[in-house]
Amino acid sequence: METLSYLLPQVWFGILALFLFLYVMLDGFDLGVGILSLTSSSEERRGILMTSLSNIWDANETWLILMGGSLFGAFPLAYSTILNALYIPIFIMLFGFVFRAVAFEFRERANRKFFWNFAFGAGSFLAALGQGFALGGVLAGIEVDAAGHFVGTTWDWFNLPSVLVALTLIQGYVLIGSTYLVWRTEGELQATHFRTAKLAAITTLVGAIVITIATPIFYESARSRLFDPPFVYIFALIPLLGIGLVALLWRSLSQKQDGTPLIWTILIFLLTFLGLALVVFPYIIPRSITIYEAAADPSSLTIMIIFIGALIPVMLFYNLYQYFVFRGKITSGSYGE
Amino acid sequence: MDFLSDTVVLSRMQFALTAIFHMLWPVLTTGMAIYLVIVEGLWLKTRNPTYYYHARFWAKLYVLNFGIGVASGIPMGFQFGTNWAPLSEAIGNFFGSIIGFEASWAFMLEAAFLGIMVFGWERVNPVVHYVATILVAFGANLSTFWILTANSWLQTPAGGEMVDGKFIVKDYFQAVLNPFMPNSVLHMFTATLETSLFVIGGISAWYLINQRQPEFFTKSFKIVLALAIAVAPLQIYVGHLSGEQVYHYQPTKLAAMEAQWETIPAGQAADWSAIAFPNDQLERNDWEISIPNGLGYILELKPKLSEPVLGLKEWAPADRPHLLSLIYYSFRIMVAIGFFFAGLMLLTVVQWLRGKLAPESISQQRWLLRGWLFAAPLGYIAVECGWIVRCVGRQPWAMYGEIRTADAASNLPPGNVLTTLTLFSAVYTLLFFAALYFGSRVIRQGPNLDLPIPGVESKPAVNVEPGEFVPNQRPVEAQQ
Repeated sequence: METLSYLLPQVWFGILALFLFLYVMLDGFDLGVGILSLTSSSEERRGILMTSLSNIWDANETWLILMGGSLFGAFPLAYSTILNALYIPIFIMLFGFVFRAVAFEFRERANRKFFWNFAFGAGSFLAALGQGFALGGVLAGIEVDAAGHFVGTTWDWFNLPSVLVALTLIQGYVLIGSTYLVWRTEGELQATHFRTAKLAAITTLVGAIVITIATPIFYESARSRLFDPPFVYIFALIPLLGIGLVALLWRSLSQKQDGTPLIWTILIFLLTFLGLALVVFPYIIPRSITIYEAAADPSSLTIMIIFIGALIPVMLFYNLYQYFVFRGKITSGSYGE
Repeated sequence: MDFLSDTVVLSRMQFALTAIFHMLWPVLTTGMAIYLVIVEGLWLKTRNPTYYYHARFWAKLYVLNFGIGVASGIPMGFQFGTNWAPLSEAIGNFFGSIIGFEASWAFMLEAAFLGIMVFGWERVNPVVHYVATILVAFGANLSTFWILTANSWLQTPAGGEMVDGKFIVKDYFQAVLNPFMPNSVLHMFTATLETSLFVIGGISAWYLINQRQPEFFTKSFKIVLALAIAVAPLQIYVGHLSGEQVYHYQPTKLAAMEAQWETIPAGQAADWSAIAFPNDQLERNDWEISIPNGLGYILELKPKLSEPVLGLKEWAPADRPHLLSLIYYSFRIMVAIGFFFAGLMLLTVVQWLRGKLAPESISQQRWLLRGWLFAAPLGYIAVECGWIVRCVGRQPWAMYGEIRTADAASNLPPGNVLTTLTLFSAVYTLLFFAALYFGSRVIRQGPNLDLPIPGVESKPAVNVEPGEFVPNQRPVEAQQ
């Protein structure tokens, strides 16, 4: 029983990390394409961008709903404290989602598309911005009382590190969005996104380097974790691997390869994610609430493993099938009607 | 304007606004999904292109609603944490896991196969497409199941107990099968289907009144009518069972629905109030018209009840719902719409049996068709009214009998909630009118009967194949 009360929260930490990673990867390119659409030079190009998402944006976004619901069930305390503390960034994200979600259908049917174009692009940007602030806010820590309830103020999440995280996340989304478009488009449009991918790779790299250097400076608590063995070796390895992957990404972009830039970008995301998870674990809100303190009752965690965990392969399978059905280059601004 | 500085009131208003707005869209998509399964199935069976065009036409409205449903649904899931953190922490063990089940079982299924259903006609074969349509409908209705399970559990908590302010689940299945669950799921399932049927029927009636494509829209009209024969009476019956459950499990709500101040002891005549002006301050109805013995007949089919009906005065004002007129009239409007639907269905069936609904002559049934047009928005109103009765009527409780709404709300600066509430009001008003505008455009455009049919080689306008001489046959003529 004692081991179970350690094991179950750890399993759920792993599952939630998986959901969050899938979300950041999938909706990352989704939001990235949305942000890129702000710079589209013609209605036709924007139409192709949106068509490349039209069949999957909803499923991509659902990974966040799934993550949120699972967090609610598996770590109720973390769910309520985090969302309570991050009221403003969460609602920035939610309003962003509202605008971009309705833009797909409304733009398609509108004669004058300007407003819905803007709703789509700006909504994507707002959603990414809110997520960046929320991530930055959580990583910076949340002020809680002995029971784990939020006792800080409304604007606690807004500080230099969280601005840095938000900007870098947006760059990362633009990067993965660009490489996704490199994979899904051809010709002029593809050439444009080879360029945006390179630009975004540089800005993301700069952001990542600044964050990496700033983390031990700003967060005393992270310092011990980062510089103590055995973690120090892992954390020394991550930046090296990261730079290697960025080099590979750069080469694939220079060689105008189709699909590989996306793969390297995904690996860069994965590496960053693993690094973050290692810094955070076993906390769910860094330095204030551990996964063991926030975890739901073992009976709930067990039943959730059965009813959600078992479904993960099924969900992955039919999502992959979706991508398989709609594979291939997109050449026109719609899939038909 | 005290409420502007009261976070609890503002959070309640925000939840009410976002829930009322959100409800408008899935109520159509979950019900219409079943209709789409039926017409696509008819197409696969008969290969009659009309059914294919029905699937394509109604799916346009479907996908329009779906987008707004998703857009307005996401804020619902997050508000539990942002605005109701203490509640979320207390009930997360059960309620949170149900939200997780809803996302993994229902939302993901619906979202992933919707792409194939809407955009995949040319990309997968018709049977695979049909499977996708079925899975979308299944996913949508599965969300009804999970969300109603979660809400019913808040109404009639079961399957565990509160320990140190947190709900610990002892028996998961008992918690899922809480007293309200089966009937509430059925009531909502029937509500989405019935609303969708009368929307589809109402839109079809509009085309028939205007004599546009009568052949085509008589089909949808009759499919809808055939389903309504079962659904409309069923809903009245299920609604009645729901009322009985409220009587047994939530006496404060029943008293509010009936504006009943004094307890009616068992064995005494129970009147049913039809119209009243409830007065919360003076604890009486200023004015009312009641039907003698009505409540007895409604609840137990006899004039005198075997159990007492408790009046509102049995509880201290802090322990019973307020906003009585809202609850009282919402309930009556919902019931009236339920009976109107059943009546309209019966009348239409009579005309059908008399052979008046043939495509050539159906447009002569002007008043009947106008009735259907009038009925199109009523389902939404009934659903919203039902939810108002359900959730305003359970106050002051967030989790009935366990957690008060006032203790459930996050401690937020009122300014934050006021800002988001104002933004939601503005954004949702915009979306509502945009949806009406684009929806009416889709309807005015009408079905596109030139779409290629999957699996059927489209016939070229002029037959260019070299004519072949076959004895005893006229030369091959240009087709179509």
